This record gives sequence, C-alpha cells and structure tokens, in this order.
Amino acid sequence: MIEIMSASALATVQDLGRCDALRWGVGTAGAMDPLALAAGNILLGNDAGAAAIEVPVFPFQVRFTQDGVFALTGADCAARLDDAPLLPWWAGQARAGQVLSLGLPRGGAWAASRAYLCLAGGVDVPQVLGSRSTQLRGAFGGFEGRALRQGDVLRAAVSGSPAARPTGFGLVPPALALPLQRDGVPAMRVLPAAEYSHYTEASRAAFWAAEWKITAQSDRYGYRLAGPVLEARTTVEMRSHGIVPGVIQVPSGGQPIVQMRDAQPSGGYPKLGTVIEADLWRLGQAPIGSRVRFIETTWEQATAALDETDAWLAEARRLVELARHQRARS
Amino acid sequence: MRFDSIQQLSAWLADTDIAVLELSGPGVSLRLHQGDALGTIEAQGAAPPATPVRPQGLTVRAPSVGVFLAAHPLHSSPLASPGARLRAGEPIGLMQVGALLLPVHAPQDAIVRAVRAAPGTPVGFGTPLFELDPL
Amino acid sequence: MTSEQPAVSLLGTSALLFEAPGHAMALQTQQRIWSLARVAATWPEVREAVPGMNNLMLSFARAPRAIDALRDRLCDAWEAVTPLPLEGRVVELPVVYGGDGGPHLADVVSHTGLSIDDIVEIHSAPIYPVYALGSHPGYCYLGGMNPRIATPRRKTPVLSIPGGAVSIGGAQTGVSASAGPSGWNTIGRTSMHFFDPASNPPALLQPGDALRFRVEKVIR
Repeated sequence: MIEIMSASALATVQDLGRCDALRWGVGTAGAMDPLALAAGNILLGNDAGAAAIEVPVFPFQVRFTQDGVFALTGADCAARLDDAPLLPWWAGQARAGQVLSLGLPRGGAWAASRAYLCLAGGVDVPQVLGSRSTQLRGAFGGFEGRALRQGDVLRAAVSGSPAARPTGFGLVPPALALPLQRDGVPAMRVLPAAEYSHYTEASRAAFWAAEWKITAQSDRYGYRLAGPVLEARTTVEMRSHGIVPGVIQVPSGGQPIVQMRDAQPSGGYPKLGTVIEADLWRLGQAPIGSRVRFIETTWEQATAALDETDAWLAEARRLVELARHQRARS
Repeated sequence: MRFDSIQQLSAWLADTDIAVLELSGPGVSLRLHQGDALGTIEAQGAAPPATPVRPQGLTVRAPSVGVFLAAHPLHSSPLASPGARLRAGEPIGLMQVGALLLPVHAPQDAIVRAVRAAPGTPVGFGTPLFELDPL
Repeated sequence: MTSEQPAVSLLGTSALLFEAPGHAMALQTQQRIWSLARVAATWPEVREAVPGMNNLMLSFARAPRAIDALRDRLCDAWEAVTPLPLEGRVVELPVVYGGDGGPHLADVVSHTGLSIDDIVEIHSAPIYPVYALGSHPGYCYLGGMNPRIATPRRKTPVLSIPGGAVSIGGAQTGVSASAGPSGWNTIGRTSMHFFDPASNPPALLQPGDALRFRVEKVIR
C-alpha cells in the first residue's frame, strides 16, 4: 500500500536481525538503529521487531496507494505529508494518494543519518530463515533480497481502516533521553577484544583519546574510521573466527574498521575491541564525515547499558499503549 | 489573585517565565513584557464604549498533565510564536509525559496572540497554554 | 595467552570467543570444537554455538550476568570433550587456475617462491575437510591446506570477488559462495551451488563434509 517513488535510495527492509543462522555463514543484517526501528513499531502498536524500511539516503519519497497509518523515527528529515510538515518520531495517518517526503536530515539537537518508516503490523514481506531483514550478499530476505527501487510496492501486514489505529502522538528520541558524549562528541562504549594487548601502549591510548572521523567509505558492512595510525607490537596471521557487529578490526594500514550489520559473521583480522550492543545504534546513526569517540567500559557497565535501553523501550511501550487506548476510547 | 496596581502586576510577572502578558477588557487593554521597566508599560486608559473592542480571544488549554513544550525536543524553533498564523488542527505545542509526546492542536484557524505557559514547565490538565485570535 | 591454554575473550556483550591453544588448525582439534559446540548449544545463555577454525563463538541469547562462571564452564567442558568424528560426503570441484579468475596467483608465487605449476599441484592434492561455515551464506572454511602455499591476507581487501572464487588467506583456503569483498588471494575459479535459503538446512555442505579441487585448466 505504499509505492516507492525515489530511485537509487539504498533503502532496505530490515527488522531486528536474523539470528540462529550464523552457523551457515549468514550474518544478522537488521536495522543499524534498532532502537529507532523498535520505537516506530511501538508507536503503531506493532511487535517491536516488525519489519520496517530503513532509509539511509535522502531525499526519499513514497506514495500511499491506500489509506494507512505510519510512523517515522530515526533521523529528523523535515518530513512532509503532501505539503504538511510532520513532527519527527511520530505516528500519523495518510490517505490514498498522499505523498510522504523525507528531506535531508537536519543537524539540530541530534545529527543522525538513517530514518525508519514503519507500517501497520510491519512491512509485509516473507520471513526467510526466521527474519524479514534483507541479506544483500546472497540476495534473500527483505524485499526480494535487494534495495528498494522506484516503482516497488510494499504492503502493510495489517490492512483495514486507519480509524481503527490511533495515531497523533510521538516519542522523545533516546538520543536525548540517553545521551552519551565526550567533549561534545557522540561516544560509544567499547569492550577490549582478544588482540587489544597486541597494540602498543601509545596506540591504545590514542584509540581512546582520539576523535575518529567516519569516512565516506562507511556503510552497512563497516565503518572505516580515520584518525591516528594504530600500531601492533606483533603481527599474527589469525585463524578465521566468528565476529559480531561492533567488532573493531585493525588491518595492516592501522586505521580501524568497525564491522556493522551487513559485515561478514567471521573474519581473521586482529580485533582491538567491540562496540557494545547497547551503543551500536549510536554509531549506526553517526553521519559520514562526523566524529565519534570511544569509551573503555566494563562487562558490568555494558550489561547495565542493555538494561537501560530495554527500560527505555518498556517505558515507551507502556506510555504509548496508554495513549492509544485513550484515543481509541474517545 | 488581585492586582491593585500595574506595578504589582509587573512585579508578579517578573517572578514568572511568562514573556508577555496581555489583558483586555471593556475599555482597557494592557500589555506587559517580562522585564519591562515601568516607563515602558503600554497602557491605555478607558476608551469610549462605542469604540469596537478586541474580539474575544480563544484560550488553548493543556489536554493532559505533563511538561509543556513550545518546540519539538529535536528542534530549536517553537511550533507557534506570537503573530503566527495557524490552521485548524495544526500542532502548536507539545505535552511531554515521560518518553511520550502528545500534541496540542489549534482548535481552528487563528493567529497566536500569546503563549500563556512557560515552555519546559510542568502544567496541569486545563492550564492555559495559548491565547489565539480566531480568524 | 600461552600456547597451552585456550583463550576466552569477549566480543562485546554479544558473544564469547573460545580459541583452542596454539596457531595450528588440526582436524582432531576441530573435532573437539564440534563436540564443544554441541554441548554449549544446550546452555540457556547461548543462542548459537558457531565453530570457526579451531575456535568457537557463543552468541548470547541474553548477555549473562555471571560471565566468569560461563567462561569457567566453557573451559571445563573443553577439558571433558572428545573429538566428534563427523564424516560426510566428498564433493569434487573443477577449477580453472590463474587467468582472470585467479588475479592473485602471481602474489602467491612471489610470496612462496614456488612456480604456478607447483602451487596448483600442492593446492589440488588434498581432500579438504569442511571445518566450519562462516563469512557469507554457505561459505565453507576448509582445513588441511599445505602450509607451503600459505600467503598472508591482502593489506587492502578487494571490493568484490565473484561466487566460485578459489582463494588462499593465510594458511587457509576456501571457495566464495557469492560475490562480495574479500581479503584473500584469489587463485582460480570454480562453480558450485552452496546455499539455498528455501532448503533445510539452507547450506549444502556442513562440518564433516569435504572438498577436493580437480585441475580443469591452468592459465599462466
């Protein structure tokens, strides 16, 4: 019930990722900002992990071919429904024929780079190996295993009158509710990995102290960072082993690459550390050209951070359900 | 609350976050700006009863308890500033309840006359938020 | 880490990595890794037990509070497991070595000092057991490559090599199951269907199966 009007937008259907298929070489894929995806679903009363459209390139336009409800979270991209400006992180409704336009992400209080468009019940595409996320390498899952193109039509899993689905409320983005910065620069917590001690003391210190620039060669596979050259004291040819999104590899050039959602689920380059799961959304939203910092953390702090994001989602769900219930009654 | 003088009113105003206070009634209109020295207060004395007075304003009240926000937390500019022209149904403010944001809508086409509540402060259900001049 | 003890390390809060002692990639060690994977897969904290080359990644269903207790349990289990002698089928793949399909064969020549013919003969001699799947859907990590043709991973990974590319990375060899980036040295090309998401299981090879490379042609 929506038709993609934009060409080459690199938009893909994602959910919270494909688990349980690592043993066949299938990585998780999934939203770069899972918190925004979940929040958009919560705004519509969907399961938190329902599939949505991840929009990384702007401007982006879709046309509603039927009446429907939608939620838009992630980057604040001056969205409009026809001519009417929309509030960010908001649930709204559209009539057949209306065009939803996402503009360029604004800086503002939070500089982000990906938006999430959620539909009633989630985007209706088949589950493959337990997930609706797009697996680009291998071309399966999501919408025909590929990025969306002009003319593609996507359905909401739940149809029916938008009158039955309350909208007209929003959420305060977690970037504001759960801020994390060092000296004004967005920061992510990192747990040291197996080869951390292979790096010189000066390089380790530089890793924590530096403002790392997200270079233009950064995408869903990995974020290539520019900053001080990190030197290893020893070079070991490693055995291939499983890795996860967030793993920070340092190839021989000395510039770190953070593996992201579409990264290979295994590799053989030395690992300095891993961005903790609770902070992956922060990095996933960092725009090309922006800078980030890394904060050394402990297991206890990292698991507490997971509790914090879980609590934010639970609170959002509780309050949204109250608002939906109230609106349904009135 | 009774004010025996404009000075008293001005002093009370200084204790709040309200930027502009406008009062009007038959024969009287008064506008006070936060921080005005007495010398800059615009006050008009009794006008002839035959002169048309300002049409009755429209008060927009808080639809729930919560923190009143003039702008979305991601934005710096307010949704509706004094003088802004509004369309019916347009969001003109927000109520924050924890993580939730609820809209405050313009009830009809209007022009914003004043913001009555201080942005960023908790308000109760029914607290006046905006004064509008209907179009 | 001494070479006698296994190494256990964190991959953030998402997973634990267990590495068998040393740097070798022995089949018997891998058989113990398969055993360990079967044991660990039953633990409530573990979502998936994913073998690598003489190592094992345990992805978490939920990051466990008592991480040290899990580490200890894993190391104890390692001491207790015996090799799991999985044996499946042997699949033979015809390979065209060199030419456009083997752009890095020259790099293997210059690193090893061996001739193209020697490299091809050494590469195509063994039966390679499938140790694990990883990297991309259906990709098989193989054991048993002769260390004489080991060539380090490339400093700059290549943006895209096609499915069917036969490559050497460090002391390992493998065949790409689909097009994608690779840091390995591509020495030849074959064709084989490795993955079908609609099948159960979706990967057509599994640990215990084996591959052998048949020399179809050598382009010098």
